[in-house]
Amino acid sequence: MSAETSAATLDAASHVPLLELRGISKEFPGVKALDDVSFAIHPGEVHMLLGENGAGKSSLMKVLCGAYRADAGAIYYKGNQVTIGSTADAQTLGIAVIFQEFSLVPFLDIAQNMFLGREPKGRLPGTIDRRKILADARHVLEGIGFDIDPSVIVDTLGVAQQQMVEIAKAISQNARILVMDEPTAALSDREAELLFALIGRLKAEGVAIVYISHRMAEVFAIGDRITVLRDGRRIDQIRPADVTPEQLVRMMVGRNVDMTYPRHFAEQPGELVLQVKGLSATTGISDINIEVRRGEIVGLCGLVGSGRTEVARAIFGADPISEGEIIFDGKPIAGEPDVAARRGIALIPESRKSEGLALLRSVGDNLVVAALKKLFPSGLFDPRSAQRTADGLIRQLRIATPAARQTVGLLSGGNQQKVVIGKWLAAGARLFIFDEPTRGIDVGAKSEIFALIDRLVAEGAAALMISSEQIEICHVCDRAYVMREGRVAGHLARSELTEENIVRLGMHDE
Amino acid sequence: MSDMAIVSPIRTLQRLPGVAIVLVLLIALFGAIAPGFLSAANLSNVLVQSTILTMLALPMTLIIMTEGIDLSMGAVLTLTSLCVAIVSLATTSMLLGLCAAVLVGTVFGLANGWLVAIAKIPPFVATLATLGMAHGLSLIVSDGQSVVGIPHSVRDIYSAHLLGIPVPILMGVASYGVFHGLLYHTRFGTYVFALGGNREALRYAGLSPTRLLITVYAIGGLMAGVAGLLMTARMNSGHPTAGLGLEFDAIAAVAVGGTSFERGNGWLLGTLLGVLAVGVLRNGLNLISLPSSVQVASVGVLVIAAMFLDGLRSRA
Repeated sequence: MSAETSAATLDAASHVPLLELRGISKEFPGVKALDDVSFAIHPGEVHMLLGENGAGKSSLMKVLCGAYRADAGAIYYKGNQVTIGSTADAQTLGIAVIFQEFSLVPFLDIAQNMFLGREPKGRLPGTIDRRKILADARHVLEGIGFDIDPSVIVDTLGVAQQQMVEIAKAISQNARILVMDEPTAALSDREAELLFALIGRLKAEGVAIVYISHRMAEVFAIGDRITVLRDGRRIDQIRPADVTPEQLVRMMVGRNVDMTYPRHFAEQPGELVLQVKGLSATTGISDINIEVRRGEIVGLCGLVGSGRTEVARAIFGADPISEGEIIFDGKPIAGEPDVAARRGIALIPESRKSEGLALLRSVGDNLVVAALKKLFPSGLFDPRSAQRTADGLIRQLRIATPAARQTVGLLSGGNQQKVVIGKWLAAGARLFIFDEPTRGIDVGAKSEIFALIDRLVAEGAAALMISSEQIEICHVCDRAYVMREGRVAGHLARSELTEENIVRLGMHDE
Repeated sequence: MSDMAIVSPIRTLQRLPGVAIVLVLLIALFGAIAPGFLSAANLSNVLVQSTILTMLALPMTLIIMTEGIDLSMGAVLTLTSLCVAIVSLATTSMLLGLCAAVLVGTVFGLANGWLVAIAKIPPFVATLATLGMAHGLSLIVSDGQSVVGIPHSVRDIYSAHLLGIPVPILMGVASYGVFHGLLYHTRFGTYVFALGGNREALRYAGLSPTRLLITVYAIGGLMAGVAGLLMTARMNSGHPTAGLGLEFDAIAAVAVGGTSFERGNGWLLGTLLGVLAVGVLRNGLNLISLPSSVQVASVGVLVIAAMFLDGLRSRA
């Protein structure tokens, strides 16, 4: 069955959708976030929304709740065309979005949170009818089977219960369409079961649910329909019975990138530079085992939130580790970022503007700042020597700047990234950890950054690269580790390095 | 999941000790070393003297709950106190003096609210600026001199009794009652929690955080006006430095009382206990004849001690 016919039979088989999006497009400068997406929501159905990071799920959700206005396309409510220009419009239509970050006030109780802005009036002007607000809240909570006292302060609740309160709040506003963004991301299995039970009850009452998930098991456990998005386009809409997890993965990957990156793979990897053994940290990662050798670029992939950045920070000493050890150049290393930096580990963070650069200072200053101790062991600063070092790096890394005294904030993203790399190069780093090195950088500059990383490792350094762009990992890395929920879910050698394998390992497919 | 339904009262009990322990310890300490501290007359005196601070610390609690601060309160109180003195001197009417003070105080409160909520100036800076303005205005209207010879009707407020209870104490109790009702039983109070806890939630609910925030600061100014009347009555004159440093005591009382400076976690009863702790401390040190400079320093120590106690318990 082709994608078109399967979707067509689905829509013909059921009555008029509760809400229907037709041909929705939304463009941001340089990115087409949504491209002609159609999407129908039926009462009493759980509609799963699947896609990789950046596939357009969040944008679609924001169009639904009135946070974004579509550039093209139309929205129909029970067959009539409507516009959702604000969150108030969405509320009137009975659409409620439960974001991952809750809209609850921590030090109010459950009832006050549920009826915020809609409190029942008490006898005196401005007062609240306390008895009625509690009774109303209890009524809604009982209706969704959540057994809790509505006068409990929200701050004392766990994440799962806060989520229940959010749902209760939405239901109390007569929501008929609930949009949930990865609702089980922060829940234990038992809590997730409770949530699924609740979803079952809501379905029975005719509530429509749009459910964004990264977990394959959930898709098949509770989904009635599946829409797969990729690069802002709807790839397919199917029923779970008509598809296998493998087919879904294949639909999600396969992004078109008309670019190959230069890479000179080493014949024989060099000696061990970094060895991570059984590493666990309080930031949510556990039992991480990773090795990086000289001359290698090793990928670290997985979904956003799978613990990639946390591993990088733990290796660099930015977060304390609770178990395991990190061996760098044959000697254990544990401690503070300044120790790691002195030993030759460089962390090039994702948010280079806030963590990697002093934006108001010059290119030259930024280049030498990490090497000050090495360049000037006596503690006396010599501007001419600093200038020489900076000029050397600017030439070596081909940083496009008129002069070393140019303010670094005025450079392009790609050149800023080069300055960060140069800074660590000057300090004598031998292991470079890149966290999303190409985020916010245009295609041409990406290729230059990868050429630079390739030169670094060819000259004897080693690199660990975190990226959400699987295609980049596949093209650039010697091999890769895939993370899932704080653990290394698998290792992919050069020959196994495909987008499909990365996505399969990164998702729940048990 | 039903095991979660027990939290609210226990939470209050758990929070109670920090400031309550401090207060009990202070009373025990001065009862032992300060002659006459535990006499009925002195204890009544402590309460009377705490009234002005109560009237500032209550609105300060609300302001701090919104993750703000009002540094101008002491200076505005000085100005409103001078307004009472000057207007009542000119008109011989206590009531007109009070009206002028409330008006001037509210204008300053509105200005603070406008600067914070609309001009988006950080509360610390905005209210520091209005502190300067209020202080300067006080010097101008008083010509740097005390305003004396005010009508008896003003002074009598401070010494009068109603049903055998000093009127200032009744005013303090009434203020607490009003603020308690306002914070815990009105829609406005609910939204004050949301201002500090989750401003987005207010916007989702279709409410204007801006207007609410301005109202919170305006209430602060209004109360500084009412407290200005008591200050003038207490000193039987208007004095250009009468309220000097009172914002420090008010913020200290709120902090000692366990109101958190983030996430909108406020506790009005704690603030009241904090005010009493500050009052007992100052009164006790006064009785053992320590200079007022030591009192100021000791309030600083009190803040740290209370924070320390709270920190110890929350870690345990």
